[in-house]
Amino acid sequence: MTASAPWRVAGVGLAAFAGLVLIFLVLPTLVIVPMSFSSATFLSFPPPGFSLQWYEAFANSPDYRIAILNSIKIGIPAAFLATVFGTLAALALVRGSLPGKRLLSSMMLAPLILPQIVLAIGLYPVMVRLGIIGSYPAILLGHTVVCMPLVFITVAASLRSYAPTYELAAMTLGAKPWATFRFITFPMIRAGVVLGFIFAFTFSFDELILAIFLTSPATRTVPRLLWEHLNYQMTPVIAAATVVLLVITLSLLVAAALVNRFGPRKAGAPAR
Amino acid sequence: MLQRTTTEAPLAPPGRAGRRPWSPGRGNTLLLLPPLLLLFALFILPLGTVIVQSLAGPTPGLAQYAEVLTSRTSLSVLLYTFQVALLVTLGALVLSYPVAFVVSRLSGNLLHLCLAMILVPFWTSTVIRTYAWIVILQRRGVLNDLFLDLGLIERPLRLVSNGVGMQIAMVHIMLPFMILPILSTMRGIDQNLIRAASVMGANPLRQFLSVYLPLSLPGVSAGCILVFITSLGFYITPALLGGHRTMVAVLIEQQASRLLNWPLASALATILLLATCLLFIVYERTMRSAAGGRPAGEPA
Repeated sequence: MTASAPWRVAGVGLAAFAGLVLIFLVLPTLVIVPMSFSSATFLSFPPPGFSLQWYEAFANSPDYRIAILNSIKIGIPAAFLATVFGTLAALALVRGSLPGKRLLSSMMLAPLILPQIVLAIGLYPVMVRLGIIGSYPAILLGHTVVCMPLVFITVAASLRSYAPTYELAAMTLGAKPWATFRFITFPMIRAGVVLGFIFAFTFSFDELILAIFLTSPATRTVPRLLWEHLNYQMTPVIAAATVVLLVITLSLLVAAALVNRFGPRKAGAPAR
Repeated sequence: MLQRTTTEAPLAPPGRAGRRPWSPGRGNTLLLLPPLLLLFALFILPLGTVIVQSLAGPTPGLAQYAEVLTSRTSLSVLLYTFQVALLVTLGALVLSYPVAFVVSRLSGNLLHLCLAMILVPFWTSTVIRTYAWIVILQRRGVLNDLFLDLGLIERPLRLVSNGVGMQIAMVHIMLPFMILPILSTMRGIDQNLIRAASVMGANPLRQFLSVYLPLSLPGVSAGCILVFITSLGFYITPALLGGHRTMVAVLIEQQASRLLNWPLASALATILLLATCLLFIVYERTMRSAAGGRPAGEPA
């Protein structure tokens, strides 16, 4: 764009505004970090002194230990199931030929977009009737259905990144469907599948509303425990727990970025 | 439909009866069965249960809906929910559009840094981000301490439990949901069109208003609908930062788990479900036109 001085000033102003919004996006969450190292027993800013007492309290709390274990015990199988079902759905809807693909694709995305409170109200009586309310399977199945769309999105994107001629070539050469999937399709979409798994686990690890309705005190997850503490007692232990959770989420995202960067998908995607 | 039959015709010639050659399309269709069953059992069935429950209750029929629509509290909650969702959507749009515009022109490390600044909050738990806002906004919070120390105010400001803090936090949480769709539409805009407008003598403002803005609108409407839908069903932030006027998701939770009035909770949930479904259909149409008429599940 050819720009004279006033337009250039407007451009700089715009960039400054965007920069401020991006800082506004990141900064509030980081306020928790200094709070978690505070030596005071209540939240005050700036913290009067440095102390690791809240991390110590966090590490010694059996409640948090059980909740973290619960979150992992629920998150890994839920993410695994979501990955299997989401990948199947993406294969069928991107590569398959069947009527009503549009509607079916939208339906696959719906559990992610619909307010979780509505699904929670509906899943509760279903789980009560099945007699598994409050148990691991109840929350695990609930998380599977809300995480499946995430895998569907990532795997569908990697399927769309290359032309189906690769599979056709393999089949022309006599490969059976399973062999085609095992040696052609799966290596091509592996990054999308792993990415979907990581996103699904992250989502399950942070999910609260289904956990409020479907878990019991014995199976409660980290977000639900945080939630209970936020409603009844506001000590800096919550800040320490939050920082630990932030670090976990951040490392999962770094893992996802690495998969995306070094995945084999890009090397083998000449056709678009 | 037409497009599909023409592309698949050469791939799957009609073979002899009973021994048709395997085509990717035919074999893959069966793969849809397990996810469909899962979706039916854990999504369609629960939603059906909500609707059935809303019609059951002590007096079967539409009694619960009549109660919702005649009770002053639930009506004002519904109205307030729509009002907050609208304000949050507008607030997020005003902040997001310039960000998406600036970021869409970046490349290299700066682009990656900005994308990280958008994606990390996107994936950070809403509970954590709401907690951060409590720490900042409460009576003895970061903001009040800072303002008191600077001598800007004499008494702590009331920012929590009057709706202001809740809306600030909701806009903050919704920003990535608005930036990402707008950004992806903007990155697809052909820069030659802007150059053409420039060559024909349009000044930057004119180039923006008559070329760039219309081309970015599909992303804007997708982002707005996404943020509006999510705000309608928002539970965590209103429950922790909201005042005496609650939003509908909080009311549903209260009716169900504290007052055990499941029929009324289900009626409210059904209303929320209907509103969401209508908006979701609009969203799907918008996304389809944004993708150039290509349906969501079809290869490019």
